[in-house]
Amino acid sequence: MRSPAAAIAWELRRRHRWGLHAVLTYLAVLAAVRIFVVRHPVDFENDQTFALVVVVPLTATFIYFLAVFSFGLSGDLAARQSMYPARLFTLPVTTAALVRWPMLYGAAAMAALWFATRLLAVWPAGTDVPVVWPALLAASLMAWTQTLTWMPYALPGLRVMVTILWLATIDAVVLLALQHKTPEPVMLAILAPHVPLAYLTARFAVGRARRGDVPDWRRTRIARPPRALAHARGDQAQAWLEWRQHGRSLPAMVTIVVPLELLLLFAFREAPVIVFEILAAVLLTPPFMAAFVAGTLSGGVTPFIAMRPLTNASLVGAKLKVAMRSTVIAWLPIVIAVPLMLRLSGTLPLVLDWARQLIDVVGGPRATAIALLVLAALLALTWKQLVQSLCIGMSGREWLVKASVFATLSFLAVIVPLAHWIIGSRQAMAMLWNLLPWILAVLVCVKLAAAVWVAARLYDRGLFGGRALVIGAIGWDVAVLAVYGLLVWILPTLLFQQYFLALIVILAIPLTRLAAAPLALAWNRHR
Amino acid sequence: MVSESVIAVSELTRRFGATTALASVTLSVPRGGVYGLVGANGAGKTTLIRHILGLLRAESGSVRVFGRDPVADPVGVLSRIGYLSEENDLPGWMRVDELLRYSRAFYPAWDDAYAEELRRTFALDPTAKIKNLSKGQKARAGLLVALAYRPELLVLDEPSSGLDPIVRRDILGAVIRTIADEGRTVLFSSHLLDEVEQVADHVTMISRGMIALSAPLRTLKESHGGMTLDEIFLAHVGTA
Repeated sequence: MRSPAAAIAWELRRRHRWGLHAVLTYLAVLAAVRIFVVRHPVDFENDQTFALVVVVPLTATFIYFLAVFSFGLSGDLAARQSMYPARLFTLPVTTAALVRWPMLYGAAAMAALWFATRLLAVWPAGTDVPVVWPALLAASLMAWTQTLTWMPYALPGLRVMVTILWLATIDAVVLLALQHKTPEPVMLAILAPHVPLAYLTARFAVGRARRGDVPDWRRTRIARPPRALAHARGDQAQAWLEWRQHGRSLPAMVTIVVPLELLLLFAFREAPVIVFEILAAVLLTPPFMAAFVAGTLSGGVTPFIAMRPLTNASLVGAKLKVAMRSTVIAWLPIVIAVPLMLRLSGTLPLVLDWARQLIDVVGGPRATAIALLVLAALLALTWKQLVQSLCIGMSGREWLVKASVFATLSFLAVIVPLAHWIIGSRQAMAMLWNLLPWILAVLVCVKLAAAVWVAARLYDRGLFGGRALVIGAIGWDVAVLAVYGLLVWILPTLLFQQYFLALIVILAIPLTRLAAAPLALAWNRHR
Repeated sequence: MVSESVIAVSELTRRFGATTALASVTLSVPRGGVYGLVGANGAGKTTLIRHILGLLRAESGSVRVFGRDPVADPVGVLSRIGYLSEENDLPGWMRVDELLRYSRAFYPAWDDAYAEELRRTFALDPTAKIKNLSKGQKARAGLLVALAYRPELLVLDEPSSGLDPIVRRDILGAVIRTIADEGRTVLFSSHLLDEVEQVADHVTMISRGMIALSAPLRTLKESHGGMTLDEIFLAHVGTA
């Protein structure tokens, strides 16, 4: 390597080689599907199907690129300090070079991602897919993400808020322009200044960070006396630490995003379908965001934590408790804001009308039970999203984490087109419907066999006694029976056979991965 | 001094890929006194200590601390050990007072008055965040939480590396303070041999994962005609 540009490129490529290989593999699969399976644009029944086919994996790639090229995977988003790696500040290169090369690589990667998407994705027939401006938009979003990530801030947490608001503003401007059918040259004119502006701002920001100049508005606040903390036991102290480190992220993110989503009610109050979609998006926001926060909660165990005189079960228990608290607090703004915004936007009568229709169909008690069940399921789903990857993250094995991400993306890349094909074929649909109980039964057998294996390992390693395991198994059985009983009462048996519901419930209630978390921690803590 | 072993390591072997970090190490640390573990960088000191703390599982051989397996019973072992290492990865976001309140919850023997005395001695501002402390102050904060519950065994893994003489003096003072109480033991790993020489009762030299020499310091000096520990180390271990 003879230049700083090559050295920075090498570091980015080397450090993220597995992720980049995974992206290339996915694009190769997409290309194969495009060339050999779907030779022409196809008719999708609706936009959602199309979105599922290409948008989910490519959005994941988009977000991954943002994190990679902004050095966002190895820093503290909430900190005031710049996230630009401080070790690079001591290199004998200009600040302009430090900013220019990662920005150039990021912009090129984003543009390439768009061109690959345009070329390889299965687009609906008749769609006029633009060429240049989406690439410029992607590059602009990358450049601004880098700039705002590398900027030092005066208050903790300000980075997240500023970045979300600024990127949302750019998106909003573009959406508005699209709505007004703005021609491509005008779109280019709107987007063209962004990359140079972001570059100049980044130069200023990184220059500041390089000088160690971090503004601090906290000094102007009135000094508060230290809050008295009293932890009676070690597990309480550990739960406090977990809360301070990871617990507040989800409530903070939900509190920022949900009001913005609910503001859309004012714009679309006359369109019942969109109101329904907005409410669905709001209700799915906590579980969706929990999937991202889960990575931090299940992060590796530092020697400081490993040295706490607590059992592995207690260390995992602290994380589970914090996930529960985080879930409940994340849902509070929704519980408060949704009725308020429905009332203020004038869409409350619409929602009440839907509720009345449901009551007319299923009756008052069942409608209440359905509403409570949906709310409980969403809360449980949020919690599950937070904790289900503990068994991966707590193992402390980077290869396992990367393999898990790769497996998930590969699964999505295969299952989404497969699902689309099945939905489109009446014969395949009928076959799947006939086979579904067997597929579910096999999955239940796999889950229970894995649970037995994990329980045996937990017992052998002395992580849980026989009594604790039996109590855990009974608790899980009770949860399964309770949910099953409720579903049997709510859902007409004409629609679903009872054994079918039982299989679904067994698969839905967390067991194996949760039980494997102490095992993974022990594997990491005592290497 | 009681002869019961606080640490008993028997035929411990550990490999990392093709590298043998520890090769059939056998070690017995008696209760009371200061046990110096010396060796060059990469000799296997930290690997041995991580086994004693239960952070590494014995591939072959056995490790017992207070007669217990530190992997099988982390609570029983770690609640009796105070630990300070060169890495000292205290959570940077915590304030000093939060660190103290957090740590005290784990140790029933935590002594608030002693903790406050140490905090004042080390001149640590209770409202200061750990990440804003200097390296020496961080080492002092780590030492404070390792000492405040008067652990039966104090394990110091290269605690003075890169620190100024004033902080190193504090650390040595802590060692002396610890052994002032009867029955408490210090395992002190360092490559700064003059420090070990000042406080150790017993010295074990480790080289390439093997015990090169292990004897009471006085015996060692007498048998080497009054040589310093530096000279003895060079004679037995060389530059390895």
